[in-house]
Amino acid sequence: MSVGSMLFYIFVFPGLLFLLLWTFFVFYFARKTLAYLHKRVGPHYNGPAGSLQTVWDIFKLLTKESITPKSADPYLFNIIPIITPIIAALPVILIPWTPLINDGRAILDTEYGVLGLVVLIGVEPFLLFLTGFGSNNKYSFLGGMRILAQMLSMEAPFFLAALSPALLFGTMNLYEIMQNSTWLTSLILLPGAIIYIIAMLGILEQPPFNIPDAEQEIVYGFYTEYAGTNYTLLKFAEFTEILVVSAAAVVLFFGGYRGLFFDSFWWLFLKVALIALIIVAIRASNPRLRLDQMLKFCWSWLTPLAVLNLVWIIFARLYLLGA
Amino acid sequence: MLKILDFFNYARSRSPWIVHFCSGCCSLEMLAAMGPRYDWERYGYVMTPTPRQADIIFITGLVSKKILPALLRTYEQMPEPRYVVAIGACAFDGGPYNDSPSVIKNMTEILPADVFVAGCPPKPEAIVAGLEELKEKIKRGEPSASSQGGLWKQMKF
Amino acid sequence: MREKLKEIIGRYDVEYIEDYRSWVKAKLKNKEDLLPLIKELKKAGVKSCSTVSPTDFIDENRIEVNYFLENLNPTKSSKEEEKVNVWLKVDLDRDLQNCEIDSITPIMPSANYHELEAYSTFGVKFRGHPNLRYFLISRDYYGKFPFRKDFDFKEHEKNLIENINAITDEFLEEFEEHEKTIGHEGSRTVLHWGPTHPASGPIRLKVFTNGEIIEKVEPDIGYVWRALENLVERKDFIGAIVAVERICFMDNPNPMICYSEAVEEIAGKEITPFAKYMRVILGETGRIASHLISMGSFFGTMGLQTFLMWCLDVREYFLDVLEDYSGARIATSCIEPGGVRYPLPDPEAWFNEIDKAIKKWEKVKPDIEDIFLKNPLMTKRAKNTGVFTLEDVEEYFLAGPVARASGAKIDVRIDEPYAGYADLEMDYVTCENGDARDRLYIIVKEVDQSIGLIKQAIEKIREGIEKGEMNPSKDHLIKMPKKLPAGESVRRIEWARGEILMHLVTQDKATSPYRLKIKTPSVNHTMMLENLLPGHTLSDIPLLYGSMHICQGDLDR
Repeated sequence: MSVGSMLFYIFVFPGLLFLLLWTFFVFYFARKTLAYLHKRVGPHYNGPAGSLQTVWDIFKLLTKESITPKSADPYLFNIIPIITPIIAALPVILIPWTPLINDGRAILDTEYGVLGLVVLIGVEPFLLFLTGFGSNNKYSFLGGMRILAQMLSMEAPFFLAALSPALLFGTMNLYEIMQNSTWLTSLILLPGAIIYIIAMLGILEQPPFNIPDAEQEIVYGFYTEYAGTNYTLLKFAEFTEILVVSAAAVVLFFGGYRGLFFDSFWWLFLKVALIALIIVAIRASNPRLRLDQMLKFCWSWLTPLAVLNLVWIIFARLYLLGA
Repeated sequence: MLKILDFFNYARSRSPWIVHFCSGCCSLEMLAAMGPRYDWERYGYVMTPTPRQADIIFITGLVSKKILPALLRTYEQMPEPRYVVAIGACAFDGGPYNDSPSVIKNMTEILPADVFVAGCPPKPEAIVAGLEELKEKIKRGEPSASSQGGLWKQMKF
Repeated sequence: MREKLKEIIGRYDVEYIEDYRSWVKAKLKNKEDLLPLIKELKKAGVKSCSTVSPTDFIDENRIEVNYFLENLNPTKSSKEEEKVNVWLKVDLDRDLQNCEIDSITPIMPSANYHELEAYSTFGVKFRGHPNLRYFLISRDYYGKFPFRKDFDFKEHEKNLIENINAITDEFLEEFEEHEKTIGHEGSRTVLHWGPTHPASGPIRLKVFTNGEIIEKVEPDIGYVWRALENLVERKDFIGAIVAVERICFMDNPNPMICYSEAVEEIAGKEITPFAKYMRVILGETGRIASHLISMGSFFGTMGLQTFLMWCLDVREYFLDVLEDYSGARIATSCIEPGGVRYPLPDPEAWFNEIDKAIKKWEKVKPDIEDIFLKNPLMTKRAKNTGVFTLEDVEEYFLAGPVARASGAKIDVRIDEPYAGYADLEMDYVTCENGDARDRLYIIVKEVDQSIGLIKQAIEKIREGIEKGEMNPSKDHLIKMPKKLPAGESVRRIEWARGEILMHLVTQDKATSPYRLKIKTPSVNHTMMLENLLPGHTLSDIPLLYGSMHICQGDLDR
């Protein structure tokens, strides 16, 4: 790999610039869609149809005073917002984004793609817990505790669901999983995909599982004490994680960048946008669950279903695909 | 250098976030301003749950003595630069509660406001118009009135 | 019932017993008789204390304490059996040492906060109260009893900064105390839910938690205390409207109806039928506007803003109705003693506006029912959470929609009709379970009921105009005397959140109220939170709090 292409990967695509653009897009997209469902207009006057709103928001946040509260642990409080976006952005090298780069393979094309993906996604919540712990604020700490409880339980069905394509195709290489997928396999993987998306809502703290940053209950959870740049970085990490997790869903279950007539990045982007739309639609129509209800749902319904799904996958692999 | 600062001032003026703090009846009209008919998100105003991410604090009408320390503390928790918008007659001189023993009459002396929106309560259009005026002030890069002085600096909160 | 109550009260040493509307009014000679009498009354069925209202007669050197005891009888409709209430009066010495009376809280828990309020503002000590403390008033008024007639608040106002610092000191002391008693070990802590909290509004719940489980809740109120009861004493009878309507802006016209009727009664005037029906229409419009916010914020407490937005959308149309009539969206001042403030030169145009609002609601309603009212996650959270039984309703005097959600047949509009309600057809709307979800459903049902009432009232006005009995451009207001005679009156109305009771006292040739006690439902509902919340998790606070439809404006007044 040449230095030039490496820098390109890091700073342009699928690195920093791409992730920033995605953040701008998804922020705007979510606000506009949500506003439409609210019977409102949403951002309108800043830029064409309000499209520059996020840009101004981010530049404003970057120039705001970045407060470190007196009672917080200054080291932990300030270091975590730097680590979190990096960890959140790391999985992008495992995902095959476009046919144009690396012959359509991921930048880091490894046999352990799925494993790397779930581990890197699974590390994130512990960092967010540390933000709550470092803030030394009761609400932040409660948010941190809630995120731990939620992650530990939600990751079980998440991992099991992510495992199902690997079992079906007998490989953990994301490129091969994607290439092998057909309409039939997508259909076989559909229960797995649904479990994945539900668990994903839990991992990403989206409604109805937005328990760790429940505004009405514990102010803003682990975000409570963060201001200015640190807050921007944490939000950036959150949106990057949304991108990574939903792109992983697309690659694992819906054939990645492969589409009708031609293969392109835009197919992947369209599929990710559809998942984002589902997330927003659920956000607009469902209230939040209680922590204990979420745990009960996760352990007594979602996890057993994820296990049953694996049984179904093995059955399908043996008898339907005839491997 | 000046140009860059101007750019940031512009960005700041375009995305004013407002802390969720209500101390009086005018917050009901703020709710209406958030709602579908007036929708202040069109201009980029958003409510934030914590003061740490906010740029603007509203003095929503009356401020009773008991809530004043909480208001000042919330204001103090906001990051610089921060602005104050006073809405409603009560924020100016106590309004209809001018005779009341428990309402602060000189709220804007204690915490000087950058923009004052008249009315009891002001209509949502008026609130949005007042915020638009504040935007101009932010764009010009003027310091906020409350940072210049006010009795709040002498108070314990 | 009435005879029975009179007989019970007659056994004691009383100055007089008389009938007054739905009340049996009596004055006790000895304050020692109060406790045994109330015990007997409770056995006889008068189980709830509406409020405790002291009146300071400085010239006669006495403080008269009024006890308003209500017979809710939630299982029976008032059409089957009249609900007779009891109004007791006791005289106390004015000087602070002897201003003492037995607390009725151990017998009637619903008197709890009302007694605290009477103690804080008038200095009436209640012997035997479980936790007598200063309440509602801010720190700088501790021990000064601001509602007494000889309190000089101008003098008090001079030391503003010291007063504020005293309030801050109180918070800091409390913080230190919690640091000492609870500390940082273990999983116990105190969370302050409010007043800066995103969902709370200006109230503070001190929540003692063990992890996520709530162990104890102590409401701390007074953050929007405007001393309205004291404020009206410095205004004239019309000017007092400004203070009265500001009890809570969500449902603005109804408190004015209550106050106006109280004034009209003392003046001995009867308003025109047109004004009566106008009051019904305005009151019900206010009720709908308030219910739409209550409904929306019920979901808002669970993190779902869509429903709130949809409700606000509909609410704007009902506010248009008020704006069309009075020129203001929420601070309408549209009802005053003597009728309603403005004539209605073109009734049909205004009725059209109402029609538009009703159509808007009816258009949205099916969507709301499908998407939100049947939402499985909402059901999961709200069903069987925070259940109130009929006993709770009587014991703690829950009122309005909260009581009716438990199946209680309580509605002042039927029990003691005011304005034009006597001629309109209506029945109690109730739900059965009394859980948080039913407290949402009842609100939706009540909006429909209100729309029905508005339609009936419009019909009546139309008929009246056709027959030539009503003249919308002249009949709106009758002439009220400038000065009122000495007297007192008690009026109850059904407000959006429950029952409002106003007790108005005037002195001879009065130009302003001598004393106006406003009893509002949110006080009792907040009191109920102390018993309701322990055992639930932190996530249930906003939900249950939102389901009680508490408004801080009328909580603190």
